[in-house]
Amino acid sequence: MLSVSGLHAVRAGRTILHPTSLDIAPGERIGLVGASGSGKSTLGHVLIDELRSRGCRVAHVCQSPDEALDPLRSMRFHWHEAERALGLELGAIDKNTLFTSLKIADGDLRKRPWGWSRGMQQRFVIAMALISSPDLIVLDEPSSALDPVVAAATMDLLDQHLEGKETAMILITHDLGLAARRVSKLMVMETGRIVEQAPTEKILQHPQTRAARSLVAHRSWIKLPC
Amino acid sequence: MIKDLMGFVLRAVVVLSGTALATFVLLWHAPGDPAQAIAMARFDALLTEDVIDQVREEAGLNAGFWTAFRAWVGPLLTLDFGRSAVTGRAVWPDLLVAIRYMLPLALAGLAIGLAISLSLAIVAVKRPGGWLDRFAIAIASLGTAIPAYWLGLLLILLFAVHLAWLPAMGARTPEHVILPALTLGLGVAASLTRIIRSGILEARGQSFLPAIRRRGVSSRGIDRDHIAPHAAIPVVTVFGLELAFLLEGVVMVEVIFGRPGLGTFLVTAIHARDFPQVQAVIVLTALMFVTVNLLIDVVYRVIDPRIGARDA
Repeated sequence: MLSVSGLHAVRAGRTILHPTSLDIAPGERIGLVGASGSGKSTLGHVLIDELRSRGCRVAHVCQSPDEALDPLRSMRFHWHEAERALGLELGAIDKNTLFTSLKIADGDLRKRPWGWSRGMQQRFVIAMALISSPDLIVLDEPSSALDPVVAAATMDLLDQHLEGKETAMILITHDLGLAARRVSKLMVMETGRIVEQAPTEKILQHPQTRAARSLVAHRSWIKLPC
Repeated sequence: MIKDLMGFVLRAVVVLSGTALATFVLLWHAPGDPAQAIAMARFDALLTEDVIDQVREEAGLNAGFWTAFRAWVGPLLTLDFGRSAVTGRAVWPDLLVAIRYMLPLALAGLAIGLAISLSLAIVAVKRPGGWLDRFAIAIASLGTAIPAYWLGLLLILLFAVHLAWLPAMGARTPEHVILPALTLGLGVAASLTRIIRSGILEARGQSFLPAIRRRGVSSRGIDRDHIAPHAAIPVVTVFGLELAFLLEGVVMVEVIFGRPGLGTFLVTAIHARDFPQVQAVIVLTALMFVTVNLLIDVVYRVIDPRIGARDA
């Protein structure tokens, strides 16, 4: 169980994350939802920093592959760099299994990111995040830069890969439709606080707070493909 | 690739023939009597009209413009620069000697310029806006404001006259290259410092860096593998311009420090209206520019192949 308490963040004298505690069980899938500016990403960053400082293995996948890959460097360079950063020997990880399960095995690693499709780039970023079999993977709006079909496929592949593994997942999103089918627990954020947390079904059917109600009412999440 | 290569050859042909024609037109129509200047340089004395007419005949100045142009361009196509109108010797061996003096000076100037500008820029970006940064910018601005001839004289005054550490004039020993190279290098450093500094600052703002840092890559690794290549792109861009600055500087610095070299060769040839020599220097310089620009193109495509892909 990963337990943290007292996470907070202040920027330019303004509190953007009020003291927050989290308990994450191994293999648990949590959705962190809320409107833009509610502090979701901040909580994600602060959580990553805190867990890392304790020696936990935490991986992070950001919104767009543009924010994760250097356009001047080849995919192979990125992969080796990620291996080195984890203190692994080059080629220590069996990347074929990982690439096959994320369906990027036929990607040419000599190419730069822009030689790959965006969907493949994002799956490559997820593959890099999974190199170390992390305790926790934080996905910060991982599919907002992808079209809905590619986004759904990417999330499906990730779900399949993580099945039966101890890696917990936090999915940060303002898209309740994306979170609905993939997480067992939802945390709703508003103005730097977690205002409601409960099993996904419960929040979707009986939202208690105004923030949760507006998110649930926002769109017909149940009909969405992803 | 073949298309790129053909494009380059075509550009090179246009630039070189344009330069050759423009140089010839300018020299041909320059005011004053070239025959008199050539005769003065040849015999170093006041001369009678007969002698000057004879020189005019020998130098081919009696022929029309196109005849003279053809007589020069024809052999040039087989890389024959012709013979000096003053000494009668072939231009190429003398030019080669001049290049042998110029090249170490230019390379040393470039190396000094790069070393100074890199160190200044790296110090400056440690804390942008801090006093070290402002100091580096001030030094760079000062360097841009000081012309090479004045800086050269100041260096001679300090290191040769007052301190007597280094020789001022000539090119006999390797020590003779220090002061002229420093003069050139400080000029190069002045303009490069700003570009390297802003290149690094811009590269640091790249949106993917926080994610790479979060992946656990050390800041040294990020500087070396991500910031340096991005910062290199604007530096490579201005390198072609730096070469122009360097060649212009070499001409001036060689004259100030009394060094034989391409600059001195050119200035002497212009004074004597030695057409073949002047033209040889200009064509060679144009060739150097074309080659350096080709190299810059290649380096660009190695650093960021998207540049080549967009052009295609």
